[in-house]
Order: sequence, then C-alpha cells, then structure tokens
Amino acid sequence: MAPKSKASSKAAPIPESKAEPPPETVGERSTQRFYKTNTLQKRCEEVGLAALTPAEKKTYSHAQLIIPVSQDRVPLSIKAEREYWKQVSKENLPIRRLRRNYDWGQDRQGRQLDTYKLADFGERSLKQARLAALDILHRRFLAKRDKARKEGSELPAEEVEEEKKTRAAMAVLRKELYGKITGPLAQDPAWDDVVPIPQAEPEDALARIAYPDDYAEAVSYLRAVMATEELSERCLRLTQLVINMNPAHYTVWLYRFKIVKALELPILDEIEWLNRVALQNLKNYQIWHHRQLLLDYYLPSISSDTVAVKKLAKSETEFISRILEEDTKNYHVWSYRQYLVGKLELWTPAELGAAQNMIEDDVRNNSAWSHRFFVVFSNPKETTPGSLPTATDPKVPVATIDRELAYAKEKIALAPQNQSSWNYLRGVLVKSGRDFATLAEFTEQFVSGLGEESEDVKSSHALDLLAEIYKAKGDKEKAKLCLERLAAKWDPVREGYWKYQIAELEK
Amino acid sequence: MAAIPALFTSPPSIRDALTTHTSDSQDETVKVCQPFLSGQEPGTRNAYGIPHLSRDRHIKFLQTQLGELPGAFKAMDPGRPWIFYWCLAALTLLGEDVVSYRERLIRTVRPMQNEGGGFAGGFGQDSHLATTYAIVLSLALVGGDDAFEVVDRKSMWRWLGSLKQPNGGFQMAVGGEEDVRGAYCAAVIISLLNIPLDLPTDSAAYSAGHTDLLSGLGEWISRCQTYEGGVSAKPGTEAHGAYAFCALGCLSILDSPHRAVPRYLDVPRLISWISSRQNAPEGGFSGRTNKLVDGCYCHWVGGCWPLIQASLGGLQEGPKAEDVNNDAAAEEAGDHSLFSREGMIRYILCCCQDTSKRGGLRDKPSAYSDAYHTCYVLSGLSSVQHKWTLNVARTDPSVERTDKWSVSPFKEGGQQVFDEEDRIRTTHPVFVIPQQKAEDMLSYFSAKTGF
Repeated sequence: MAPKSKASSKAAPIPESKAEPPPETVGERSTQRFYKTNTLQKRCEEVGLAALTPAEKKTYSHAQLIIPVSQDRVPLSIKAEREYWKQVSKENLPIRRLRRNYDWGQDRQGRQLDTYKLADFGERSLKQARLAALDILHRRFLAKRDKARKEGSELPAEEVEEEKKTRAAMAVLRKELYGKITGPLAQDPAWDDVVPIPQAEPEDALARIAYPDDYAEAVSYLRAVMATEELSERCLRLTQLVINMNPAHYTVWLYRFKIVKALELPILDEIEWLNRVALQNLKNYQIWHHRQLLLDYYLPSISSDTVAVKKLAKSETEFISRILEEDTKNYHVWSYRQYLVGKLELWTPAELGAAQNMIEDDVRNNSAWSHRFFVVFSNPKETTPGSLPTATDPKVPVATIDRELAYAKEKIALAPQNQSSWNYLRGVLVKSGRDFATLAEFTEQFVSGLGEESEDVKSSHALDLLAEIYKAKGDKEKAKLCLERLAAKWDPVREGYWKYQIAELEK
Repeated sequence: MAAIPALFTSPPSIRDALTTHTSDSQDETVKVCQPFLSGQEPGTRNAYGIPHLSRDRHIKFLQTQLGELPGAFKAMDPGRPWIFYWCLAALTLLGEDVVSYRERLIRTVRPMQNEGGGFAGGFGQDSHLATTYAIVLSLALVGGDDAFEVVDRKSMWRWLGSLKQPNGGFQMAVGGEEDVRGAYCAAVIISLLNIPLDLPTDSAAYSAGHTDLLSGLGEWISRCQTYEGGVSAKPGTEAHGAYAFCALGCLSILDSPHRAVPRYLDVPRLISWISSRQNAPEGGFSGRTNKLVDGCYCHWVGGCWPLIQASLGGLQEGPKAEDVNNDAAAEEAGDHSLFSREGMIRYILCCCQDTSKRGGLRDKPSAYSDAYHTCYVLSGLSSVQHKWTLNVARTDPSVERTDKWSVSPFKEGGQQVFDEEDRIRTTHPVFVIPQQKAEDMLSYFSAKTGF
C-alpha cells in the first residue's frame, strides 16, 4: 500500500450538524445516538453520497468497509487483522457504533417501548430494578426456609408475613411490567410446595370459558391437591375459596366433606359456616347435599345424647324455616327438610305446625302441602313401612285421616280453585281406603245446576273429583256430564284429557 | 286471519277471590305473556296469529354458545358438557349438521374422562352422571367411530357399579345425591353404550344382594311417585315435571313402556297430574302444582306425552305411508292427544322465542334466552309437531335393550296452527337425540363382544 501523507490520511473533520432538540422518546434518543456514533451517516442521507467532499467520501466509505470485519462477519488472518487495526486507528474510523432500528420490544399492552417518553421509560426501568431486588429477597427467603426445614424447624411467622408482602409487591410489579398474573395462592408461601395443575384443554375447545384469573388459579391448585388426595387445613381453606367463587362446583363440595371427616372438624362449626353460604346462594343445591352428608356423619356420634339431638333438631328446623321465608317453594330446601324429619324422627306436632304456618301464609304453596303429607303419612308410628304414597294404608289411624280430611276441606273452602288442597284431599282419601262417595256432599257444594242454564262451578277440581265419585257410584251419565262440562267450559285447555276420561268411562 | 281462541287470550273462567303470593305471581306471569299470545307484540304472524320460528337467529345463538364464553359463565364450569349437549341437540333439531363439531368435541371431552370411569364436568373434577349423560349424547350426535371410541366402557361399567345403591337407585357421583335424574341418566348410558348389566362385585349394591345394574331400579322409581300422581326427585319429596320425564324415560329403557310404566307407576294418577301441568291462557306447562309456566317444561312435561301414549296404547302399527301423505285421512282420525297441542305450540312460538338479534329460546318473556331453554323448548316443539308410535316391543327385556318406534308428522284433527316451514326435526322420545343417531351408537356397541 502506497504511503499516504499524514494530512490526507486523517479523516476530514465532521461538519457540525445543526443543534438538535433533546430527544423526547426512547426511539428518538436511539436515533440521535445512532447518528452520533455513525459518522457522516446523517450528512450522507441528507445530501447524498455524490455531494460529499472527497475527504468525506473517503471517510464514509472506509467507515462502511470496516463493518463486516468489525462485526465478525469476515474472518481475517492474524497478519491481516493486525494490518486492519493499524488502518482503523490511523484513520480514527468508528468501530464501536450503534446499529439502526434497535428493537426495544413492547410492553404488555403491545405498545412499542421506543415510543415511551424518557421519564416513563426511566420509571419502568426503576420498576424492573425493584422487581429484581425483591426477587433477591424472595430467593433469600426460600433458601432460608429450605435450610430451616432441613433442620426440622419453620421460619418465624413474621418472616413469612414479610415474604407475603414481598410477593404481593412482586405480583403488582409483574402485572404492571409484563401483564403476568400471580394469583393470591402463588403469592402465599403456604402453597409453595404445590405445583398447580392448569386447565388441560385444546385452544379450540367447545364452549371454552374465559375463566377469571383468581378462579383459574384456585381450581388449578384444587386439581393438584385432589390429585395427591391431600386432606389438610389449607385444603379446607381452598375449598372455601372455590365455593365462594363457584358454589355449583360439585366436586369441591364432595372433597370438602372428605376433609371435614379426615380432620375431624367440629360439625356444628361447619354447619354454622354452611348457613352463611346458604343464605348467599339460595338456589344452590350442593349446599343441601353437603348438609345431609354432615348430618349422616354427625348424628351417630350424638345419638345417645337426647339433649344434643333435640338442640340440633331445633337449630336445623329454625334455619330451614328462615331460608324458606326467603324462598317459599325451594325444592332442595324442602327435600332437605323431609330428609331431616326422617333422620331426626320429627314426626311431631311442631313439624306439622311448621308446614301449617307456610300453608296459612299461602294456601297455594304446594311444597308446604307436600311436606305435610310426608309428615303425616310417612310417620312410622302411624303408617305401614314401605307403603307407597299412592296406596291405601290401613294402619293410619282414623283420627288422623279425619283430621287431615277436615284440614283439606277447610282450606278448600278458602280458595276452591286451589289444586294443592284438592290433591291433598284426594291423597288422604286414597290413604284411608274410604269410598270416594264419602266426599260427594262436600264436593257437590262447589258445583250447581250442572248442564243447566244456571250452571255454576266454583272449582274445576271439584268437577273432576265429582266425575270420579259418580263413576265409582256407577252413574256414568253424571260422570260424563262433569267431564263434558270440564272440556267445554271449565277447564278447556285439558279438553283432550277430559275426552280421554269420557272414553275410559265407556270401556 | 283466524281469530286467536279466547282460551289463549283471556283469564281462566274460574278465579278465587283470595289472593296469595302464588296467585300474584301467576297473575303477573299471565300479564307478561298476554301481549305475546294475543299478537300485540310486533313481528309477522301466520294465519293463526302465531309468529314464525326464527331459525337463523336461534342457530346463530347456539353457535355462539359453543364458542368462547365470558368469565361470567364460570358457574357452568362444572356443567360445560351440558352446553355441548344442549347446543348440538338443538342445532340438530333445527336441521343443522353437527358432524363438523366431531373433532373439536372429541378433543374437548377427552380430558373430562376420568381413569376411574365416567366423565366429569371438566378436567380434574369428579365424574358425574349428568355430565356423562350429556357427553355420551353429544358423542352420539356428532357420531362416528372415533367419537364412540372416546368412551372407556370398562371403567364406565365399574364406575356405574360404584354409583348403584343398595336400594336400587343411583347416586349422581360417588358420594353425591341419589335421585331420579341418576336413574334416567344411568339407564340411558347403560343402554346406548351397551354396558354389560352384571354388577361389579365390589359395588355396595352387590353386597346388598343386587346382581344387575338395573335391578330394583323400577321399584325404587315407584317409591318416587307422590300422592299427587307426579314423580319426585326421591321418595318423599314434591312431584316435579323434570322427574316425571326422567322416571318415564328410565322405565321405557327397563322394558317397553306399555309394560314397564304400568308395572311401576299408577298411570291414571300420573296422567291426571301431567295433564294438570298445562296452564291456560299461557298454553305452556308448569313443573309443579301452583307454579309458573316455563318453556323448559315443554320438554320435561310435554315430552312425557309420547311415552304416556305408548304406555296406554301398547303396540301399534306404524303409520302407513299412504296415511301420512293423506292429510284428509289423518284429519278424519281426529286428534286424540291428551293435551292441547295448540296451547303448547302457541306458548313456544309466541312466548319462548327471543326475537331480538340475540336469538335463542327462553323460560318466559321476562327471561333471557339460554342454551338450556333453547334445547328443551325445541325438544318440546319437535315432540308436539310429531307423533311417535311404538311398533315392535322387545321380546326379551333382559337381552334386548330397545323397542322399535316410528315417527310421522302430527296431522290429526285437521287444524295445524304452525306453518310447515316451522316444523323441525324429530328426536327420540326416550334418548332425546334423533333416532338414527341413537341407533348408530347402539349398533356400534352392540357389535362389540366384551369391552
């Protein structure tokens, strides 16, 4: 290479560019820094390569030429490399320079970080630093706890509390910075040993639910502890968490019952807790099955203690009555009440009174009528075991039958078109085995002038029963008339049924 | 335009003076339904004053329900298989081909099957009879060997054995409640999957002397019939429409309905009770005495009628081809239905359709549509538009699991208040999926020897 004069070999002085305003965003700062470290780049872009002075041209092109080697894209022999560096330092060529379009990445909302204002970016970096610092504290806690456990001890509660705070702060930062959710369970050191099992389903699963984060986390931990069949205090708390979020989750209830048994928890406390859940979830039925399981399990332990049993019966019936005040026909609550009567042998005037009160409040409450029927006709002292509700039971005392018939009649008089009381009357009569004709006089008072101009019917149910009464008496014509009038006038939506009954008469 | 019969526009002719909470809510319901029934609501109506079925909107609604659902649906987390069944069954009723859902359904339900047998409401939950029932029916609806093969029948058999109770009934889940739903769901599963009836020897029911998965089940159901004539969830509770259907469905699986139903239930009382469920002027059914109409009972109660008719009528010749096509002959035969088909159709098409963009069917005009009501209102609509006839009863119930049914459009009695374009597809009265789909699954598993 021909020796060059010192003067010409030095790079031409870079013309001062106009003073640029200070950068506002990360991206602007990067661009400015790029130009600062890439000599002549800006000028070349502004005026074009051809318009540069010869010295500038030389400097610019040399600066470009050294790039492949400086970026290790072209390997050189040792000798050539020595020569290369000699030239670079001789001409003071820019070796360390920034590349254009550095990718700063994006934040959790998908915003490019290079659009951040410098101050905001600074704040973000500070958060990242804070998170890193917290992570050190967190790791120190884990290490300390490991050590303590190896020595057979646990860390003091204050340190665990401190760790919870650390994790809470980390969770906030992670969410802000990266949109990562750390749920409350992952933040709780008590759950560190459990690896949650997340929902396993394909991306395109049918009716896929976008579970809220806290719920998704809780059921992930639930799957994990159920898989190992862990029955512990913390699992009990977990079930409560899941139940609060989704009381319809039947699995968590069955699991909770297993825990209650395994930990030998006081059943009355569990019932107390259940009361609160029930009041908040009137339509839920898992609650009532859980309650039934609790009672089945608990009763044998107090069966010899009549005072305790009585106390339980009182608190249970009081609570049921309270719930039924809110929701008078709740199927599952009434079913539980029937279970309770059987279980605690509440074939009592008080229980009959409870149903009666509900009927007094609303004579059309069929659930209350059904309960009354159950209390009267399933009482083992007065009925034949296994007698079906639709069958005659000769064991039922006459006085009971008379009382129930009178009760139904009294209520029918209040509202003759109320089917609940008629169904009850009929049910009692079947139980008694008495002739349907015995009800003729009572029933006829709701029907007058049948088939005549003056016809008046106070109750289609009376007419229905009369048809049956006349049929039993062998008076087909009268029975038919009742049915015809039901079809034509008094209950025409059931015309098809009444016509079928007429056809049955002819058979 | 033919006038709307007064029966469906005016209050019943008998009314008690005494008002109670029950009568107030009944009055309120009639008030809500009245404008829909009497044609005061906007929208086109046919010659009988009845709106058309908004097929496209309902289809769109169902497709949406099968897609991604918002977090508010988390309460359905343990019952998601129901959504599959409701939507696939309803889409099928509307004439949509659901075979395209096969692969997705298979992928979705696989993680819900437990090693110990049965399907849960979701991954990591306990197996449950209701969700297993819903998944088995969904698999039948999409059809195909791949779908059928998802089910592990051997573990299913074992699991069913663990649910069978000494009293003959079934628990819904191990440690769960025992009710008539369990009896019906188990019977459907056992029947469609051709599960061997021998009871696993480790079953509690086996220790109690049962040797058969279905033994004692009919007796247990008979204990559920109440003094009102209806059927309750379990012995001693209140008669309820949904349980009446489950009881009839279950009994029709145990043996042909004309034998099994009278064997275990007091049929006249049952009919009287079911018949009482139909309300006027609403036309729809209630689930219990003195309760309100709800569209879903068009299936739970309305769906009882074909089974009741079969129980009463015994075997009948299938409709002859010429009869089906000869409207005049059919009309002459007269409408021997035990209930008001017109009332039911009016309630469904006037009151249960969400005619807004949302689509779907609902409980009553004051409620939002949902997949559950869409499925069961449409099942009811299909049932009321058709006539099912029991043609050939099984000869030996211990060997054969099903009977032969035939179906034809219901055309008797002359007047048809809905337009032909609003007639939807048929669904089997016991399995509540199309007959062909049930038969495909049955024959697939019947061809298997052992598991």
